[in-house]
Order: sequence, then structure tokens, then C-alpha cells
Amino acid sequence: MDDVLVIAGLRKRYGKAPKGVQANDGVDLRIGAGQVVGLLGHNGAGKTTLVNQVVGLALPDEGSITLAGIDAIARPDEARKLASVQAQANVPITGLTPRRAIDLVGRLRGGKRADVARRTEHLLDALELGPWADVTAEKVSGGVARLTAFAMAAVAPGALVVLDEPTNDVDPVRRRLLWAEIRRIADEGAAVLLVTHNVREAETVVDRVTILDHGRVLADETPAALIEFSGHQGLEDVYIELVGSGEHAADSAEESVA
Amino acid sequence: MSTLAVHPAPMTRQLGLLLQWQFRRMSQFLPLLVVVQILLAVTTVLGYGLLVGTPPPEQALYLATGASTVTLVMVGLVMTPQLVAQARTEGSLDWMRTLPVPRPVFLGADLALWTLIALPGMVLGVVAGVLKFHVDLSISPWLPVAALVVSLTSACVGYAIACLLPPQLAQLVSQVLVFVVLLFSPVSYPASRLPDWLATVHQWLPIQPMAEAMRASLVSDTFTMPLRSTIVLGVWCVAGIAAATWSLRRRA
Repeated sequence: MDDVLVIAGLRKRYGKAPKGVQANDGVDLRIGAGQVVGLLGHNGAGKTTLVNQVVGLALPDEGSITLAGIDAIARPDEARKLASVQAQANVPITGLTPRRAIDLVGRLRGGKRADVARRTEHLLDALELGPWADVTAEKVSGGVARLTAFAMAAVAPGALVVLDEPTNDVDPVRRRLLWAEIRRIADEGAAVLLVTHNVREAETVVDRVTILDHGRVLADETPAALIEFSGHQGLEDVYIELVGSGEHAADSAEESVA
Repeated sequence: MSTLAVHPAPMTRQLGLLLQWQFRRMSQFLPLLVVVQILLAVTTVLGYGLLVGTPPPEQALYLATGASTVTLVMVGLVMTPQLVAQARTEGSLDWMRTLPVPRPVFLGADLALWTLIALPGMVLGVVAGVLKFHVDLSISPWLPVAALVVSLTSACVGYAIACLLPPQLAQLVSQVLVFVVLLFSPVSYPASRLPDWLATVHQWLPIQPMAEAMRASLVSDTFTMPLRSTIVLGVWCVAGIAAATWSLRRRA
């Protein structure tokens, strides 16, 4: 399988020691074409910092990011052509309808008008957004806005699709549709980097899981392997055990330094 | 559609699509923003008229042409930082920056939008000035260029302020600039009325050259654009574009 995203030894610190935060502390990550990799971690574990460096919003202190063979740190403009992003915060689309917003982003990303219209229609159908497709954004719910943001990232997806908390505010029925659509994007050839706290549901979709803790990779395995090694029933239990012990280890380390 | 074959649209098409995006996003407030700019321009003329009564001819020309500069500068230096700071706070600016759109295209779309918002106020401010102070204009063919350079420079400087300062500070600075531009800049009156130190400061700031450019374009038979002011404005224009582009490219 061809690697689409290769991250090696990535370090990023905000602020100077001792007060600053080491957001990423030597992160390695690989995602192949057709793979969905779940990036899990507690709040402040460094997930969004990692994503921001991949799409050229933040500059790493050390390490490398290669996206479809291109050095994404040296050429962020080229990297942006290869990656589409659903941001953690909802992008306000006041004044636009979901259909118009998805269509405009698809065409901005270079899709042909007819192709984008077809793809937009497919996404609206697949996510059951039809009744809200032509309603202005100020009248739609947070969940519909979130799904629209997902569709804006999925309409002309590129080699890498980065989804930061795509299921927030989405109802259980549409979450199921969303997971299916995420899987479909990967099956059509894209690599998907999925940042989520929804560990239980993500388990059914991801090919591999990377768990971040205090900016470091605690685990990088398939869900099945993690469950088997740990002896737990599900990925969520494995995650809680790993991150819990990670926090404990970090606290102990801080105590010993103090 | 292949998921891997993403080739961004040509820059001209991206500019059109971005303009469409921004126009639709602001569609609710666009008429209001235009009306506010018109009111600002017209009330600047009428308000100064109340302050000075019946001015002598040259002072009347300053007052009649000052409103158009005030409108262009206000949109660029005051409204731009406020809107960009809001986009930063709500996260939409960062998301827009993840799109495969060259940074100058972002800037071009925003500048076109803000210039269009300022245009009706600029024109009606001049009309109000002519009617109120009974002055005769002699419009130079350079007027569109002067208006564009003034709009571009002030919006780029405003953009850079909004991107480089923390959002709340940017909003505060833009509020302070309202007073500086309206009361303490030689726009609607000659620089000779300022205290020496402030007149010297204004020789290096872009506001006075902006006012001179607009005056020389609107009343070309009475005013000329000094070479020094052309150079100062040109430097600010290039520096403003460079700062705005750099701030859009900047990585945290």
C-alpha cells in the first residue's frame, strides 16, 4: 500500500520552557491510501496541533511531513492541494445553504461544475441532509452544520482527508451514515486522518489507531491488535487504560523532576 | 470523481468563487454596511459644515473632498480589522487558509469586496460635499487609480493589523483609529493646522498622502499630488500588500 502521509519525529512547542507546552514530542505516523487512521487522545494531547502542521497552519520545530511524496513543511501550498480539511470548529456559513457551501468549496478545490453538483447531491443524500439542503445556514441545527462541514471536506477530497471531530453534535442515526461515508472516502482511494473522541463508534471504521498522550505516541496499532494485547472488550477500554496510565506516568515523571 | 485528482481551479475562477462565497456570507449585512458607509460620508460633510459654518473657498474644497477619503480609509483601517478579527475568533479564517487558494487571491477577493462596500459612500460623500459647500470639481482621469490605491493600502494595513495582533487588541486599535482618522489627520483640513510634531508624524503616515491623492484627483485644477506624498503612499501600499500576504502565509 502506498503511503500518502508520512510523519517522522515531529516536534512542536508553543511558548518557551518551562512555561510553554510541548504539543508534539516526536510523533511518527503513517497513513496509506485507502486507510482510515484514528487519532485519539485527551484534550490537549496535541491532535489538532498535528493536523495544523500537516495543512500548513503551524510550523514544526523538528521532524518531517511528507504528503503524497511532497515535503509538506517546505511546500505548504502544494500540501493544501493534496489535503482537504474539516476543522474542529464549525466554519460559519451564514448566508449560504448547505448545498451552495458544499458546491462552492468543491469548485474552489478544482472540481468541474457537473462533477461537483453530482458529488454534492450524493453527499446530501448519503447523509440525509435533503430537507436542509436549500435552507440558509442560520436556520439549520448544529448537527446539520457539522455534517455540511464534513461534506465540504469530502466533496473534492484529495489524497488526504483530515477530519477533526466530525461527529460532534451529530445525532446517532446520522452518525452511522457519516461513519459509512468516511469509510467510503477511504475505499475510493484517499487516506483519512480521523481525530475523534468517539472511540467506541470509530472502532468500526478505522484501520489503525494512533493514541497521543502529552504529545507522544502511546500506541499505533490496529484496533483488533490493541484489544487482543490488552485483553479488554473494546477499544474504548484499551484507550482509557493507556491514556490513564500515560497521565499517571507523566505525573510521576513531573514529580520526580520536581 | 476521482478522490486523488484535485487540481485547484485557475486563479481567476477561484477569485470569482471566493467573491461569491464572501458576498453570500455577508448578504444579510451588506446593505446595512453600505448604508453605514454612506451615512458616515454624508454626516462627515454635514457635521464639519455645522462646526465651521460657511467656510472660505479653499477650506470648502478640503471639507467637500475629505469625506470620500474618510470613507475609504474607514472601511480599510476600521472595518477590515473588525471583520478579519471576527473571522479569526470564530475559526473561519484558519479553515479558509486550508483551502488550496493562493494567498494573493484571498486578499484580492476581500479587497474587492471592501472596495465595493466603500464605493457608494465615497461617491455620495463627494456629492454631499459639492451640494453643501457649493464647490466645483475638476475630476482627473486618475481618480479611479487614486481611489483604488487608497482603498488597497488602507485595507492591506487593516488586514495586517487584524492578522498580527490578538483579535481583541485589533478591534481596540481599529476603534482608536476612528478618532485618529476623523479628528487628528489632515484629511478635511490642511496639515498646517496641526501641531508641528503631529504634522511631522503625518508626513510619514499614509493618511495625509491618501487625502492628497483624493483631493488632487477630485479638484485637479487646484490641488496637485506632491512627489514626496506619492512615494510615501507607494511605499505604504507595497508594504501593506507585503504585510497582508505575509500574515496570511504565516504559520503559528
